[in-house]
Amino acid sequence: MNSDINDKQDQEIQALLKDYPMPEATAAFYDQALARATHEGSRRQRKLWVMTGFGSAIAAGLVLWLIGGFFLTTPDSPTATQGIPEITMTLEQPRTVNLVFASAAALETATLTVTLPDGIELAGFPGQREIAWQTSLKEGRNLLPLELIAVSPIGGEVLARLEHNDRDRTFRLHIEVS
Amino acid sequence: MRPHFDRLYRLAWRLTGSKAEAEDLFQELLIKAYGKLDDLVEIDAPASWLSRVMYNLFIDEQRRFSRRRMLTVEEGHLPGEGLSGLPGTEDPVHDNERMEKMRQLDRALSQLSDEHRQIVLLHDTEGYKLTEIQDLIGIPVGTVKSRLHRARARLREILTQTGTFF
Repeated sequence: MNSDINDKQDQEIQALLKDYPMPEATAAFYDQALARATHEGSRRQRKLWVMTGFGSAIAAGLVLWLIGGFFLTTPDSPTATQGIPEITMTLEQPRTVNLVFASAAALETATLTVTLPDGIELAGFPGQREIAWQTSLKEGRNLLPLELIAVSPIGGEVLARLEHNDRDRTFRLHIEVS
Repeated sequence: MRPHFDRLYRLAWRLTGSKAEAEDLFQELLIKAYGKLDDLVEIDAPASWLSRVMYNLFIDEQRRFSRRRMLTVEEGHLPGEGLSGLPGTEDPVHDNERMEKMRQLDRALSQLSDEHRQIVLLHDTEGYKLTEIQDLIGIPVGTVKSRLHRARARLREILTQTGTFF
C-alpha cells in the first residue's frame, strides 16, 4: 500500500521535474559571450592573465562590490553620481543587479536588508518595500543577485544594509527609469 | 561550438541555480575553450569535453568561494528566478496550480544537498544518462544511481512534509 503511494508520488514528482523550468539564454547573450571570449581569450593568451573565476571582471551582469562596507569601483561599476552608483532601468523590464559582498572573514548570522523605493520591486516579492535575509558570509566573495523591476517611472534609491553584531554598513544604488 | 551552447547554458543553470552565475560560468567556459580551440577540433566528443570543463570550473569556483549564494531565512534562497521560464496555457486556473506546485518543488530542491540537487536535475530534468553523469562528475555509475535514489527519496520526503503537495 505504502509502496503504491510512493510510486504515485514519485511519478508526480518526476512529471514536475521534467517540466522544471529555467529561462533560456538569448541569442544576443551568446553573441556577447562569444565576443567577450574572443577578446578576453586573446588578451589572456597575450598577457598570461591569471583567471580569477567566473565572478571576475567579465561578469555578465552589473556587479556592485562591497568589501567590509567600503565601496570599490570595478571595471563593470556603474556610473556614479555624487558617490552613489546609478543605473538606468527600462520600465517593466527586469534587470539583475549582482551585489557582491567580499568579506575578509567568515561572518555567521549576518542580516541583509534590502529597502526598495516606490516603483521598484524585487522579482518574486511584489509590493514589498523591505525584504530581509539572515545569512552567513564566507571569507571571500559572496554573491547576491537581485532581479529588480521598475513598475513606475519614479525611480529612487535601493538600500542594501548588512548588519553583523553591532556593526552595519549600508550600500546605496540610485535607479533612474526610462 | 555554437551547436552546444544551449545544452551548456542549461548545464550552467542547473549547476548554479541563478541567471547571473550561470552566465558567468558559461562565459568562463568560452574563455577557457578559446585557448583550446585547436584541441577542440581534434576531440571526438566536444560536447562532453566542454561539459566536463564547465563542471570543473564550477567546482573550482565553489571551493574558492563556497556558498556564494546567500540564503533567505524562510525559503532557503531567492525563490522563483527560474520559474519565470514556465510556459503558460490558456487555462489560468491550471497555470496557477502548476505554478504553485513548481514553487514547492523549487523550495524542496533548494533544501537538497548540492550533490543531490545536481544529480536529480541533470537526470530527471535535463535527461542526462547515468553514464553521462558519471563522465561529467567523475564518480562510478553505482554511486550516481545511489545518489539519485537518495535524492528522490529526500525530495519526496520534503514535499510530503509540506502537507499540501499530494
